[in-house]
Amino acid sequence: MFLKKPTSLIVAALCFCLVFISPGPCALGQKKTAPVEATPPPIREEFKFGDIDLQILEQSDLLDAKLDRDGLVLQDEAANAYVRRIGLALVPRGLELEKVSWRFRVLRDPQPNAFALPNGSIYISTGLIVLVDNESQLAAIIAHELTHVMRRHTYVQNRSNRKKFLTMNIMSAVGAYAPGGIVGAVISVVTTVAPFILMATIYGYSRDLEREADLKGVDMMISAEYSPEEMVNVMKLLDQDIEGENIRLFYNDHPALNERIKYLSTYLGARADRVTHQMELNRERAAYFKNMESVMRHNLQLSIMAGRFRSAVFNAQRLVDFHPDSENLFWLAESYRTLGPRSPQLTEKELSNSAKKEAAKKRQKRTLEEEERELLETPVGKDNWQRHQQKAEELYVRALKAENPAPAVHRGLGMLYERLGRANDAASEYEKYIELAPTAIDRERIKRRIETLRRT
Amino acid sequence: MRLTSSVPVFRRRALILVFATLLLIGFSAPTHAQFLHPKIKSKETTIRTVVVFPAKVNVVRDSMKGPEGMAAESDELSARVEKTIAEVLSKQKKVATLSSPAALSVEGASQPNYTVADFQTRFDELLPKIMKKRSDVKKGRFTMGDEVLNLNLDKGTDAIVFIRGEGKKLTGGKTAFTLLVGGVPAYLRLQIGIVDARNGDVLVYADPIFGGDPTTAVDRLRKALEKGFKKLPIADAAH
Repeated sequence: MFLKKPTSLIVAALCFCLVFISPGPCALGQKKTAPVEATPPPIREEFKFGDIDLQILEQSDLLDAKLDRDGLVLQDEAANAYVRRIGLALVPRGLELEKVSWRFRVLRDPQPNAFALPNGSIYISTGLIVLVDNESQLAAIIAHELTHVMRRHTYVQNRSNRKKFLTMNIMSAVGAYAPGGIVGAVISVVTTVAPFILMATIYGYSRDLEREADLKGVDMMISAEYSPEEMVNVMKLLDQDIEGENIRLFYNDHPALNERIKYLSTYLGARADRVTHQMELNRERAAYFKNMESVMRHNLQLSIMAGRFRSAVFNAQRLVDFHPDSENLFWLAESYRTLGPRSPQLTEKELSNSAKKEAAKKRQKRTLEEEERELLETPVGKDNWQRHQQKAEELYVRALKAENPAPAVHRGLGMLYERLGRANDAASEYEKYIELAPTAIDRERIKRRIETLRRT
Repeated sequence: MRLTSSVPVFRRRALILVFATLLLIGFSAPTHAQFLHPKIKSKETTIRTVVVFPAKVNVVRDSMKGPEGMAAESDELSARVEKTIAEVLSKQKKVATLSSPAALSVEGASQPNYTVADFQTRFDELLPKIMKKRSDVKKGRFTMGDEVLNLNLDKGTDAIVFIRGEGKKLTGGKTAFTLLVGGVPAYLRLQIGIVDARNGDVLVYADPIFGGDPTTAVDRLRKALEKGFKKLPIADAAH
C-alpha cells in the first residue's frame, strides 16, 4: 500500500540503492583505514586494472606530457639524473609493476612539494630540493612517493572516492524527495549530515594512505641504506613554514606535520641502531649541495618571481654558507633587495593558524606592490627596508669583488640605486651590465630603463 | 494527515523543478563581464597587434561518481579557444595576432620555454587578485611589471593575451540528476586578460561564461567571446 505511492516508490528505490552500494548507511561513521603495518612491498603485485583505473593511467600520461610542454619540468640533465639515481636505488630489486615505468623529474616550482603519478612518474619541486639538507632527506621524500605508486594509492583512493560520491548523490536525491511527516524529517536530517561524514571519510582515508607512505618509506630507506632518521628531519624542515602557508583546515588530506614527526619517531624508536653519525651527514650534505647547486640557484629566481622572498633569503643564505662565490652572493643580495620592507622571519604571532588564514586572504586580494606600499607606511617596514637595501648593497659589492663576478650583479645594483633615487648611478650600473652581457634576455628592458633614467 | 503533509512535499518538489529549470535557462545564456584600463577607454593606448599565449582551459566530466579528468579534451578545447579568440579579435576589432612565443621557441632550447612558463605562472598569481575585484582593472590597479619586455616579442606587439578557463561536462546520469535534484549544469567559464606588452599593465579583463557542453558548443563559445570583447574599441576606429 505504502509502496504504491510514486514518492514512496522513488524513496524506496533510492534507499535500496543506498543499502547495496558501497559504504552503506551503517558504515557511514566508520573510517576505512589503509593497512599501516610494516610489510615488505610486494615484488609481483596482483592489482587488477579496471576501466576507470586505465582512464586514470591515460590522464597521468597526458599530464606528464603537459608538464613537459608547459616548461614546468627542469631541463637539467645532471639534476634529473641525480634524482633518478636516488629513486632507482630505493626501488626494491626485482620489483615488477604492471603499467609502471619509473621517471624521476625536477619540477620548476618554488613551493616545497612532491607528488607521484600512478604511471610511475615522480616529481620533486625545486622548492623542496633547495629546502632539504642532504641526499638521505631527498631519498625520504622519494621513498614516500614511491610507496604511493607501489601500493597503487591513486587507484585505490579513486575507487573509494567514487563509491562515496555516488552515495552522496543518492543521499541528495533521497533528501530532495523525502516524504512528509516524521519519517521525512528523519530522512532529511540523515541526508543532510551524511555528506559531511562521507567527506570526512574521504580525507581520513587520504591521511591513512599518507601515513602508510611515510612508514613504508622508512622501510625502503633502510633497505637502500639511507639514514631513516632523515625522514623525521625532513618533516621538521617542512614544519618550519618560512612563508606561513601551512594552514590547518577542517578537512586535511595529509596528517599534520607534528603528528607525522611523532608517529615516525615512534616507529623509528625500535630502529635506534640505524642512527647515522653527524659527521657522515655533514659529508653527505656537502655532496648534496655540490650536486644541486644549480637547481638551488634556479629555485631562488623562481622564489623571487613568486614573491616568496623569505624563502629566498633563507635558502640563499644556506647557499652562501656552503659556497660564497659571486653568483651565490648575488642571489642573496637579490633576495634581500626584493624582501624590501618585509621582516626576514615571521613572528610567533604571525605563525598562528588564525594569522596565517588572515594572511592567506590578504595574499588573494593584495598585489605585492600594494603590500610593500602598506608596509613602508609603518616604522618597522621603513626600518626593514633600509636595513635590507643596505645589506643588499654590501652583498652586491662583495659579489663584484669575488672571483669571476657575474654581470647580473651590475643589474641588481642598478635596480637598487634606481629604487633609492640615485638615477645616474643606476644608469651607469645598467650600462655596465649591458656591456658585459650584450645578449642577455632582458637587454631590451634594461635599455628602456637606461633611457628613462637618462631623461630624468 | 497524509493529505495535509503531502501538499507541502508536492509544492517543494515543484519548486525544485522550477528553480532547476530557471537556473538551467539562466545559465545557458552567456554573460560577459568586461573591464577596460583607463588608457584603453581614453584611447591613449590602442591594441592593434597581440600575441596570444597558450590557453589553459581545464574541463572535467562530472558523473554521479564524482569528477573525472579530461586532459585530451581540455587540450583540444584550449587550442580552439585560442583560435576563436584570435578570429574574434581580428574580425570584430581589427586586431592582428602575431605568432605565439611558444611557436617561436626553438626545439630543445629550454630558456624560451621557461620564459613563457614563468609569465604564465605570473598571470596565474595575479588572476585571483583581479577576480577578487575585477572593477579595479578600470582604475589601472593591476600590472605584471616591465619584465614582460624579457619576452622579446616583436617590436610591433601591443599586448599579450592570457587565457584561463574551467568547465564541466555532465554525463547522462548526472544531467538527469541535475534536472531532478538541482546542481550546477554543464558550463564553460573563461578568464581573459590582455596585458600591455611594453609595461605589463592589465589593459582588458573579460570573463565570459556560457552553459552547455564546453567540448562541443562551438557557436556558443564564439558568441560568448564576441560579447566578451564588446567594449574593446576597434583598432581602426581608434586611430
